[in-house]
Amino acid sequence: MTHPLARLVLAALLAAAGFLLPVLLGGSTLVYDTLVAIAIFAAMSYGLDVILSDLGEISLVHTAFFATGAYAAAILTVTYGFGAWTALAGAVLAALALALVLGAITLRTREFAFSLVTYAAAVVCMNVASNWDFLGGSDGIVGIPPLDLSVGPVELTAGRSPEFWPFAYALLLVTLYVVHRFRRSRLGQAALMVHMNPRLATMCGLDGNRIRLQVFLLSAVISAAAGWLYAFQRAYVGTDLFDTYFLVLMLTGVILAGRRILLGPLLGTALLLFQKSFASLGAYGDKLVLGVVLVAVLCLCPRGLASLWPRRRSAPAATGTATGEIGAASTRHA
Amino acid sequence: MNVAQQLVNGVIIGHAYALVAVGWTLLLGAARLVNFGHGQMYMIGAFVAWWVMAATGLPYPAAVVAAVLLGAVLGAVMQRLFLRLTLSQDLVSLMIVTLGFGQALEGAAGLAFGPKPQTLASPFQAMSVHLGPVWFTVQDAILVVATILVFAGLSLALHRSWLGAAVRMVAEDPRLTALGGLRVSRIYMGIFAFEGAAVAFAAALVAPRTPILTSMGFDQVVMTFVVVVLGGIGSVLGSYVAGLGIGLFTALFGALVSPAYTTAAVFALLIAAMVLRPGALAASGSFAR
Repeated sequence: MTHPLARLVLAALLAAAGFLLPVLLGGSTLVYDTLVAIAIFAAMSYGLDVILSDLGEISLVHTAFFATGAYAAAILTVTYGFGAWTALAGAVLAALALALVLGAITLRTREFAFSLVTYAAAVVCMNVASNWDFLGGSDGIVGIPPLDLSVGPVELTAGRSPEFWPFAYALLLVTLYVVHRFRRSRLGQAALMVHMNPRLATMCGLDGNRIRLQVFLLSAVISAAAGWLYAFQRAYVGTDLFDTYFLVLMLTGVILAGRRILLGPLLGTALLLFQKSFASLGAYGDKLVLGVVLVAVLCLCPRGLASLWPRRRSAPAATGTATGEIGAASTRHA
Repeated sequence: MNVAQQLVNGVIIGHAYALVAVGWTLLLGAARLVNFGHGQMYMIGAFVAWWVMAATGLPYPAAVVAAVLLGAVLGAVMQRLFLRLTLSQDLVSLMIVTLGFGQALEGAAGLAFGPKPQTLASPFQAMSVHLGPVWFTVQDAILVVATILVFAGLSLALHRSWLGAAVRMVAEDPRLTALGGLRVSRIYMGIFAFEGAAVAFAAALVAPRTPILTSMGFDQVVMTFVVVVLGGIGSVLGSYVAGLGIGLFTALFGALVSPAYTTAAVFALLIAAMVLRPGALAASGSFAR
C-alpha cells in the first residue's frame, strides 16, 4: 500500500471493478438508474465535503450550486440550442459567478453565521428560480436533449440509464481525482491549516479569507458539474432541485462514513440511495429514514461509521498521515 | 393603497415573526445551538393543534395547550438526543443534527397527517374588528398581545429571576456552571423545552392565518432566522425589534414593490446588515451581556 505504484494499480483495479458494478449486480434498469444516481449525487456531495471536511464550515447553499449547474445546462441547450460541452462551460462559469458573490458576502462570517447566510442564500435562489420566467418559473424547463459529448469523429452520446452510466462514472472518477489532488495540494494543506489553527496560518503568511474563497469556488464547481449531468439525465429541471432532501442527502453522505475520508461521501451516498431504490418506504418514509440516520450517526458516533474500526485507523498513524489524527483534531477544534 | 392598513398588517406579521423566533433566540443565546429543525417543529405544532381539534372535537384553546405541551416534550427529546454534542459544543455537528431532526419530523408528519393541506380553524379568525380605515381579526389581536407577554415574561425571567441567572450562566460557561454545583443538563433541558413549547405556541396562534402543509417548515424557518440574526444573535429584545421591523418591511415591500420577491428583499436587508456590521454577527454567543 505504501508504494506509490502499488497504490496506483490498486486504484485502477478499484476503478475498473466499479465500472463493471452494474453488470455484476444484474444489469437491470433499476440497478443502472440507482448507480447513475449514486454517481451523480456522490459527485454533488464532494462539493460539500470539501467545505465541511477541509474548511470545517457547513455550507447550506450547495443545493443552489447543484441547481445552478442544472439550470445552466437546461437554458443553454433548450433555450439557446448549444451543445453539452458549452453547457458544461456555462454551468461552471455560472457556479463560479454565484460562488464569487456568495463568497464575498460570507467571507467574514464563521460557524453558524456562515451557515445561516448560506441557508438564506439557498432560499433566495429558489425564490428567484420559481419566479423568474427566464429560469422557467415554477414550471421549470422541460425537453433537455439527450447528452451528446461527441468530439470530432468520436461519438459520445447517451439517452437512457445504461448508456448514461459511463458518463456518470467518469464524472465521479474525475471528481474523486480532483478531491484527492486538492487534499494534497498547497491549497488543500493551507485550507486545513486555516481551519485548524487560523493564527498559525496567519503567521505563516497565509491569507485565510483568500483561501476560504478559493476552496468555496472549487466546491461550487464540483457540485455544479454534477448538476450539469443531472439535468441531462432527468431531461428536466425545476425548483425541486432546491429541495432540502438533496441538502440532507449531501450532509448525511459526508457525515455517514466520516470526514476527510476520500471514499466516504461515495459510500454514504451509495448506502442511502440503495435504501431508497431497493428498500423504499415511500417518500415520507425515506425522509424519515434519512433524518433518523443522520441524527443517529451524529449522536452515537459523531466521527462517522469509520471511527468504529479504531485499529485500521491507528495503524497508519505511525506514518504520520492518518486521517484519524486529523479527524480527531477537527472534532476537538469544532 | 391603504397605508394605515399595511402598517397594521406589518405590525401583526412582525409579531408573528417575533413569536416564532423567541424560542430559537433563547436556544441560540444559551446553548449556541442553531436549530434548523425549528421550521419543522413549527409545522408539528400547527398539525398537532389541528389534529386535536379534528380528531377529538376539543375547542381551539385546548388545542393550543396540547400543542404547547407536545412542543415541550419534543424539545426535551431533542435535548436528550443532543446532550453530548451540546456539552462538547461541537457546533458543526449540532447544526447538521438539527437538520436531520427536522427532516425526520417532516417524514413522520407526512406519514401521520398525509399530504393534503389542512386548516387550523380558530373561532377568533372569523371575528374582525374595524377601527376607522383599518381592520384586523381578533386572532391577530390575541397574537400581538401574546407575543408582547411572552417577550416581557422571558426578559423578566432572564434578568430578574434565579432561573434566568442560571440560564445566563450556562450561556457564559457550561463547565464553570457545573463546577458551581448546578445541573447543567437540567438547565439545558429547560431551555430546549422552552424552545419546543414556544414554537408550538407560536404555530398554534399563527397557523390559523393560512392553510397548513407538512412541507411548510422550510419556508417558515427562513424569516425566523433572519429575525434571529438581525436581532443580534441571542438578544431577546433585539429579536422583538427585528421581528417587528421585518414585518413592517415585508408588508410595505409586498404592497409597494412585488410580493413574489419579498423573501429576496429581506435577504438583501440581511446582506446589508452583514456588510455594514459584521462584528455584530460574529459567532460570539453573547446574549447575556
